Amino acid sequence: MSEPLYRVMVVEDDPHLAAGVVENLRAEGYEADSVGDGRKAVEWFESHSCDLIILDVMLPGMDGFAVCSTLRERGTTTPVLFLTARGDAVDRIRGLEAGGDDYLAKPFHLQEFLLRVRAILRRWDWYRESARTQGSDVLRFAGNEVDFRAFRGRSWNGEAQELTEKEAMILKVLAEKPGEIVSREDLLEKVWGYDVFPSTRTVDNFILRLRKRFERDPATPVHFLTVWGVGYRFMSGEES
Amino acid sequence: MKRSRLFQITVLLLVVVAAVQDGYWLFDQHLRGAEKTVSLMRLYDQQSAAAEAMLAAGVPAARIQALFPDLSVSVDHVALAPEHLAGLIDEQRRRLTQYLWEGGFFLFALFACIGVIFAALRVETRVLNEQEQFLALVSHQFKTPLASLQLSLETMSLRQLPAERSRALIDRMLLDLTRMETMVGQILDSSRLSHGRMELKSEAVLLDAAVTRVVSQYLERAQTDHISIESQIPEQLQVLSDPIAVDAVVRNILENALAAVAPVGGGKVTLTARSLGTEIELAVRDSGIGFRASDQSQLFRKFSRLNAGAGSSYYGTGLGLFIVQRLMQLTGGRVSASSEGLGRGAEFLLHFPAVHA
Repeated sequence: MSEPLYRVMVVEDDPHLAAGVVENLRAEGYEADSVGDGRKAVEWFESHSCDLIILDVMLPGMDGFAVCSTLRERGTTTPVLFLTARGDAVDRIRGLEAGGDDYLAKPFHLQEFLLRVRAILRRWDWYRESARTQGSDVLRFAGNEVDFRAFRGRSWNGEAQELTEKEAMILKVLAEKPGEIVSREDLLEKVWGYDVFPSTRTVDNFILRLRKRFERDPATPVHFLTVWGVGYRFMSGEES
Repeated sequence: MKRSRLFQITVLLLVVVAAVQDGYWLFDQHLRGAEKTVSLMRLYDQQSAAAEAMLAAGVPAARIQALFPDLSVSVDHVALAPEHLAGLIDEQRRRLTQYLWEGGFFLFALFACIGVIFAALRVETRVLNEQEQFLALVSHQFKTPLASLQLSLETMSLRQLPAERSRALIDRMLLDLTRMETMVGQILDSSRLSHGRMELKSEAVLLDAAVTRVVSQYLERAQTDHISIESQIPEQLQVLSDPIAVDAVVRNILENALAAVAPVGGGKVTLTARSLGTEIELAVRDSGIGFRASDQSQLFRKFSRLNAGAGSSYYGTGLGLFIVQRLMQLTGGRVSASSEGLGRGAEFLLHFPAVHA
C-alpha cells in the first residue's frame, strides 16, 4: 500500500464481525486491532492512540456513544466511525453529536466501509497537513486566535475557547480561502465527506457556533458572513 | 391499527362528555326542583296576602276560598292547605330521589364504561409497545450475524484468499448461520411461552438420558472452545416434566454455560444431579465469566445479555435463560442462579418435580 501506515482500533463486541473488520483493514494495509468492551476501549485510549476508531454502539460495559463522548471530553480528537445495527436518524444524529465523524449501519457493504475509512483518514490528513504546512498552524484575526493543532483558541475578549474538531475543520476550510465564497456543499464534503447529515442546515449551526465564539456581535457578523443561497465567506478583517 | 385507536379514543371522549353532561343534568335538575318549590311557595304567599287583604276588606270567606282553592280560608285566618304543603314537599323529594337514582345510575354506567375503555386502551398500548420493542430487539439481534455473514461473503468476493483463509471464512459463516438458526428457534419458543401457547405434558423423564443426549450435541463445539463438559447424573433419577421442555431447558442452560466459559479461553462445565425428596436438583456449574450479584435480577429477563461483549454473543440472543425460567415455571419447577462475582464462574440450580414412587 502506498498510503502511510494508519492505525485503526475496532471496538466491536461481536467476535466474528470484529475479526472480519480487522482482517479487511489489515488486508488494506492498515494496522488494526480490536477490543470488545466499551470500558476497556476507554482504558486502552488512556495509554495508546490511533488514527481512526471504528465504534459499535451497543457495547457491554459502556455504550459506544458514551465511549465517544468520554474520549472527546478527555481531548481525544481521533476520528470515530460508528458501526452499528441501530441505523435510524435519531441514532445517527446522537452519534454525531457525541463526536462521531461518520455512521454506517449494519449490515454494511465492505467496499463502502473501506471507502468511508479511507475518506475519513484523507480528511484528517488534509487537516493535519494544512495545519502543519501552510506557514502556521495558528490563525489570528481581529484579536481572535485559533490553534488548529490543539483545537484551542482565544477570542477577542480574551476568553479561552475549546473547539470541537468539526468547528476547527470548518474554520480551517474557510480560513484557507479568506474573502472567497465557500459553498455549504464544499464544507460538507471537506469536513464530513458523506451524506451523514440530513441537510446542509448542520453547517449553518456550526457557523452560528463559530460566530458566538469569535464575533464581537454575533447578530451582525463581520468575519463569518452568509452569502445567501450559496454558502459562507470568511473575512479576517485585514482584507482591505 | 391507527384508525381503530382513533375510534377507541373518540368513544372514550364521547363517554366522558356524556358523563359530564349527566352530572350537570343531575345538578341542574336538583336546582330547578328547588327553584320550582320556592316559586310555588312565593305564589302561595302572594295568594295568602291577597286572601288576607280580601278578608280584611270584608269579602266573605267562602268566596275567597272559592277563588283560592289551594288555601285554607276561615273567618279570621288564611293559610296554605296542609295537604298542599305536604304534597309540595313530597313532590320535591320524589323528584329529587328520581333524579338521584336515574342520574346516579347513568353516571355509574358511564364511569364503568370509561374505566373499561381506559383499561383496554392501556393494555393495548402496552402490548403494542412490547411488540415494537420485541421487533426492534429481534431485528437488532439479527443484524449482527447478518453483518458478519455479509462481511465474510464480500471478503471472499473481493479478495483472492488462500484455501485455508477461505475455509476459515466458510466456518465462520456456518457458525453465523447456526447462530441465526438458534435465534429463530429461541424467538419462536419465547413467543409461544410468552403467549402461553405451549402445551406441555407431565410425565416421567429420565434426567440422565436427557442430559447425555444434549451434551453429546455440544461436545464438538466445547472441544473447539477448550471446554470440558462433565456430567454425573444418577441413572435412576426421573423428573416429572415434559420431555421436550427438559431438552430445551438443558440445551439453553448448557448454551449459556458454554458461552460464559468460551471468552475466558476455556474451562469446565459440570452437570450434577441429586434427589431432594419431592424435587430433583440439577446443578450446572461453569468456570466462566460469572456475573455481579447486582445483575442477578436481570439474568432471566428477555433480551438481557449481561456478558454480550465477552464472547457469548456468538450465540446469545438474550432469550435462552428467559426460556429456561418460563419452561421451568410451566412444568412446576424453578431455576436459580448464583455467582461469586465477575470472572469466578456461575452455578445454575434447576429444581424439577420428582416422580413419586
